[in-house]
Amino acid sequence: MAEFGHFAQCLAWLIAVVCVLGGFYGAARGKLAWYQTTRAGTFLVFVASFCALGALAFAFVQDDYTNQYVWQHSNKEMAAAYKITAIWGGMDGSMLLWAALLSLAGALVAWRAPTYPQMLMRWVLPVVNSTSLFFLSVVVFLTNPFRYLKSEFIPPDGNGLNPLLQNPFMAIHPPMLYVGFTFLAVPCAFCIAALLAGRLTNEWIRLTRRWTLIGWAFLTTGIILGGHWAYIELGWGGFWAWDPVENASFLPWLTATAFLHSVMVQERKDMLKFWNIWLVVLTYGLTVFGTFLTRSGVVQSVHAFASTNVGWVFLLYLACLFVGTLALVLWRRKELASERKIESFLSREAAFLVNNLVLLSICFATLWGVMFPVLSEALTGAKQTVGIPFFNAVNVPLFLLLLFVMGVGPLIAWKRSTWASLQKMFLVPFSAAFLTGVVLVWAQVGSFWPILSYSLCVFVLMTILGEVHRGVRVQMAAQGQQSGVAGSVARLMRRHRVRYGGHLVHLGVVVVAFGITSSMAFKTEKEFSLGKGESSSIGRFTLTLEELGEAAEKNYDALRASVSLKENDKLLKTLHPELRLYRRNKETTTEVALRMGMREDVYVVLAGVDDSGKRGTFKLFINPFQVWLWFGAMIMLLGTVIVILPEMGLRSILLGEAEQSRA
Amino acid sequence: MNKIFYSILAVFVAVAAAMIFMATRSGTSSVYIPSQLLSEAGDKMRVRVGGRVAESDINYQVEPTIELNFSVRDPGAPNPQQKIIPVTYKGIKPDMFAAGRDVIIDGDFVGGVLVASKLQTQCPSKYEAPSVDKLYPKKQG
Repeated sequence: MAEFGHFAQCLAWLIAVVCVLGGFYGAARGKLAWYQTTRAGTFLVFVASFCALGALAFAFVQDDYTNQYVWQHSNKEMAAAYKITAIWGGMDGSMLLWAALLSLAGALVAWRAPTYPQMLMRWVLPVVNSTSLFFLSVVVFLTNPFRYLKSEFIPPDGNGLNPLLQNPFMAIHPPMLYVGFTFLAVPCAFCIAALLAGRLTNEWIRLTRRWTLIGWAFLTTGIILGGHWAYIELGWGGFWAWDPVENASFLPWLTATAFLHSVMVQERKDMLKFWNIWLVVLTYGLTVFGTFLTRSGVVQSVHAFASTNVGWVFLLYLACLFVGTLALVLWRRKELASERKIESFLSREAAFLVNNLVLLSICFATLWGVMFPVLSEALTGAKQTVGIPFFNAVNVPLFLLLLFVMGVGPLIAWKRSTWASLQKMFLVPFSAAFLTGVVLVWAQVGSFWPILSYSLCVFVLMTILGEVHRGVRVQMAAQGQQSGVAGSVARLMRRHRVRYGGHLVHLGVVVVAFGITSSMAFKTEKEFSLGKGESSSIGRFTLTLEELGEAAEKNYDALRASVSLKENDKLLKTLHPELRLYRRNKETTTEVALRMGMREDVYVVLAGVDDSGKRGTFKLFINPFQVWLWFGAMIMLLGTVIVILPEMGLRSILLGEAEQSRA
Repeated sequence: MNKIFYSILAVFVAVAAAMIFMATRSGTSSVYIPSQLLSEAGDKMRVRVGGRVAESDINYQVEPTIELNFSVRDPGAPNPQQKIIPVTYKGIKPDMFAAGRDVIIDGDFVGGVLVASKLQTQCPSKYEAPSVDKLYPKKQG
């Protein structure tokens, strides 16, 4: 199987070379035959890459320990599902997965090609294939996952996957990110193809709108799943630590979000053309940069992926990408020049520009923090680092400004807004936010930042509700009073799907902001020791140790506590925090016991047991409104899905109209 | 030239740069490996040390308070000549903590002891293991 997999990936590489060279030649010389060859070749790259991926999966399922990568990342005890997910448990397999997903994106583009303008597609296909080619080159020449184990005999068992990674959220988190990365590579490819072809209208943006949205949705999901995994698995009570590996996925998310907004300005006002090109190239570049960051060992991370020497390849690729884009932009600068100007500070253009700048500032600050050890060493010779306080100090105010702009942007008029219309739109939201602030200050809830954050949440919430209210009123006026409020909201959603889908995403962001603010500002923690039958209280909750015992599981020994959680003497849940000792590598892990609630999460970790084995020491975190972060993320995704799925909605709209006309 | 575009841009660049500058000044710590830290005499506040948990004396107690005491040495193969730094951490033993693992310690170096305020075990995605030969010693003959 290893031979087959290796052969398949080499074949994919070879076809990709043909597609890139032939495709560019055909596009430059206007040879249709080469375009058709490239299109067919793009499908073949996809088939061959997935054959390679399948061969690797097969090797994992078959426990083929002649394969070095399989031996390193799997063992016989692991559940079959985790044997599959172990494919992306390390560098070699995750690069193959990424290359395969890129070839899938390429095949999807090639499949849809007949619906796009052919003059553009002639350039798009070779550009898309060149991204696949880069990753396939890395796979074939540098991180081949089909290497044989250097050993004189076949080991009876594998090394096993890090137990922390054997978690459903961690299993699907990397593929989500990679799907997001690959989908976001498509608009970048269209952009570069548009530059090459000299088709610099809004065409490439319009054609890739859905790719961008789907990529963004996957990336968002991936980041949230990663945060959720950290929360329930790592046992320190938080979900985000500004670690380089987290930031690596967050950086492209920021620029992708900025891009999603700034393209609207280009579509409506024909401005920001240079800006959008750079944003989309930067987004793709940052996904590659993230790989460099986490795989090269230039910065210290708790997730130290094995320091490999492949980092420089990514840097070289990035340099080529940016120099190439710069050359193309300079070449096409005359066509890109725009006559239009932003006419007023009080306009949607200006609000979107501020939104973009805030997102880019967060991106830059985060990048600065990540790269600070490298920068400080280069400049002063002494290596210095910045921690979580740095990221919070810079990014919290920026995020709050973003929240404010999120309330203003969607409502303010294009071109120029009058004071009268501003008053009409924002008087109620602003008053509500101000009132919230006053009440919170009076009630002495927390300090400046959380109060500001809550007030801004109310502000944005009110702007969204105001929009829905105005829309519903229009609908009801048009329909008479017969259909009711719920019917009007549904009709509003259908008629202005993109607009209200966007509002729903923003509503999700507000809920996320509420959850994050609460859990950041009002987290409490407590340490205590309990013997059997003893209790400890915190706030409304009482925890009683019911049982403390040992258990031998398949590949680990566990110390397991049963702790009953009572709220005002009413039993809520029995929690089972655990300490595990994995026999294979003598490593311990903690299993968090969690009681999620609307008002707060109760998060219990068994820190240890005393020498007699009768007393357990626990660490308890109370995280207020934590669960709203996950809810908010789901609302964001729901909103994105509503925006993405127009064709499916079309049928129901037509049917809905038919019913109405019958009525 | 688009005046509004550039004025918004300029204000932003200035504000963001100022914020980053201020936040950087107020919160950096120096990065060391254990031997570097020992070679520079004296106490040091706010350091980050990347080292490997020494093979000797790991002491974890939960009563009366949670406390983890261990030593770190430079990453790489053990060297009997090398001095180790004692570390004390008042907190839960992190997941995957064990002798021979690489850790990142944030804290203060006072009186020859590293008082950790944060302790993280490096959890490699490539799950490091001893080489095959060590795990399965060659059969003789």
